[in-house]
Amino acid sequence: MARLDIDRLVKRYGDFFAVKDVSLSVADGEFLVLLGPSGCGKTTTLRMVAGFIEPTAGEVKLGGSNVTLLPPWKRNAGMVFQSYALFPHLTVAQNVAFGLEMRKLPRAEVDKRVEEALALVRLAGFGARLPRQLSGGQQQRVALARALAIRPDVLLLDEPLSNLDAKLRQEVRVEIRELQKQLGLTTVMVTHDQEEALTMADRLVVMNEGTVHQVGTQRDLYERPADRFVAGFVGRTTFLSGTVANGRFRTDGGLDLAVAPSSTGGAPGKAALSLRPERLEIAPGPIAGLDNDLPGTVEFVSYLGAQIDIHVRLSPADRLVVQIANRGGFAPEVGQRVHVGWRASAGQVFRE
Amino acid sequence: MRRSQGLTAAALLGPATIFIAVGLLAPLAILFRYSLNSFVAQTKTMVEALTIQNYITFFTDPYYTGALGTTVKVALLVTVVCLVLGFPLAYVVARTQSRFKHLLIIAIVLPLFVGNSVRAAGWMVVFGNKGFFNASLMGLGILSKPIEIMFTENAVIIGIIAVNLPFMVLSLQSVIESIDRAVEEAAFSLGAPPLTMFRRVLWPLALPGILAGTILCFILAMNAYATPFLLGGPLFKMMAPVIYNEFTQKTNWPFGGAIAFILMAVTLSLTIAANALLRRRTAA
Ligand SMILES: Nc1ncnc2c1ncn2[C@@H]1O[C@H](COP(=O)(O)OP(=O)(O)OP(=O)(O)O)[C@@H](O)[C@H]1O
Ligand SMILES: [Mg+2]
Repeated sequence: MARLDIDRLVKRYGDFFAVKDVSLSVADGEFLVLLGPSGCGKTTTLRMVAGFIEPTAGEVKLGGSNVTLLPPWKRNAGMVFQSYALFPHLTVAQNVAFGLEMRKLPRAEVDKRVEEALALVRLAGFGARLPRQLSGGQQQRVALARALAIRPDVLLLDEPLSNLDAKLRQEVRVEIRELQKQLGLTTVMVTHDQEEALTMADRLVVMNEGTVHQVGTQRDLYERPADRFVAGFVGRTTFLSGTVANGRFRTDGGLDLAVAPSSTGGAPGKAALSLRPERLEIAPGPIAGLDNDLPGTVEFVSYLGAQIDIHVRLSPADRLVVQIANRGGFAPEVGQRVHVGWRASAGQVFRE
Repeated sequence: MRRSQGLTAAALLGPATIFIAVGLLAPLAILFRYSLNSFVAQTKTMVEALTIQNYITFFTDPYYTGALGTTVKVALLVTVVCLVLGFPLAYVVARTQSRFKHLLIIAIVLPLFVGNSVRAAGWMVVFGNKGFFNASLMGLGILSKPIEIMFTENAVIIGIIAVNLPFMVLSLQSVIESIDRAVEEAAFSLGAPPLTMFRRVLWPLALPGILAGTILCFILAMNAYATPFLLGGPLFKMMAPVIYNEFTQKTNWPFGGAIAFILMAVTLSLTIAANALLRRRTAA
């Protein structure tokens, strides 16, 4: 295993930038997840690391040495493809042995490592089968075993779970993560499934339109999103638009709100206030002890079992979502007059 | 239920089966019977008999065995060259993401719109001793004597390759297209350089197309008529023109039938042998 450094990577198609100026570092043994909406350049970035796409500019360093110009077969990168890409004409064991044979290992060593790799993914005894004789989940594990058998410097996963059904996906997530920790694999995974990203990653990279918006832990991204895009993309939030001036936030609907002083410095200007639904409180009457307390009307309620989402209109231009835990307590109904409150520190202001 | 399925199958297979029986097997059977008859050259008549004399004549006359040898040699060469030229072309067509892919395919199929004899005649105009090619080069003083292109074995080989290449490319292209691109990339990422990837992944996966293409190409070359006839000249002998000659010029149906059967048997056995060989080589 080795560390991976990506330095100012660019990929341009004609005058369209699929990836522009992406720099990332993945520590030895770290699990990094690239997260972002469809078309944001995740796959392109990963494939430049694997060597399938030649970058327009920038560098890829694996274990400190520059591999930018090396073809894929000279990089020691294990890749798991979305379609698994197993060799359909070879047995499971032959699939796993392929990379080892390319490394010209003696037969006995190849056989031993194939056994090990298959045991690692709990497929011992499946060696003689052909890929088409396996379930999707099993094929996925063969693909993983094949990539692991070569003891890659870095493991690259492009949406490896997207072809599995929901239940299996949850299991395999945990399995891959445990294996990755056990073996200390430097790993980069691409996904647009937020839950998958949050459960598996050591650190996450949020990308959009070819650029990195933020790199950080789950907590960093959720509690301290770097910009409006990250705040909206990771977790749920409601944005109120308005202006900041004199330490206050004034919504377009005319509400005057207290916000954390750190976010209101500088000149007055347009901004958006992000409010996470679970950080808001709701009550039938005024709420004491909070920085903001506003009356409103319930417009919509969605009952999700363990939680209830309540959409409250505070002014003609301002509507919020409040999430409450379903503890059998206060549960407002549509049309009811309520109060919504929150601490100034619960909101986040993004200048425009 | 079972019964109606059987009936459906019969209804589906019926017309084709009848067509093959009436259109192919019956004439073949009659022709085979003719090939065992004898022929009186003076009166040009077929005499009812049961003899293998025609077959013996074929294999003892160097004129005919020579024609068979030339045919097999030309067909094998053409097939190998078509495979070598056709694979890269088919690969590019199969893998291109260009918007003009359909134009590429049309360009490959286009030559098939021109009949073999028309095309061969065109080649005669271009490559003859006084043809466009030699006349231009001599006119420019580059050549003092015309290059002999027409009426050589090479002219025939090039001609048949040009005719057969589209069949090879189309057979390969459809199979390569069905191979997941990611499989090639997987081989690369596991450390296989391009040639190794080709040998271990692409070739075995494309084998059905390779077999279809080579068989088609080989059979077409073995039976080529217009190209050897027009480009090979009077001294060049391949089987199909020889058979034609026996039937039409000499009206020797028994001997013509015998040669036709020999050509068919040789084509079939070589095809089967090559097929088995290719499969075994790949399995190993
Ligand atoms: N060969 C190409 N030519 C032109 N544009 C391309 C090419 N490959 C990718 N793109 C564009 O680059 C952008 C990034 O593509 P990429 O595949 O990296 O997205 P992604 O983040 O992996 O998305 P998804 O989640 O949908 O897989 C997309 O807008 C895509 O249309
Ligand atoms: Mg992608």
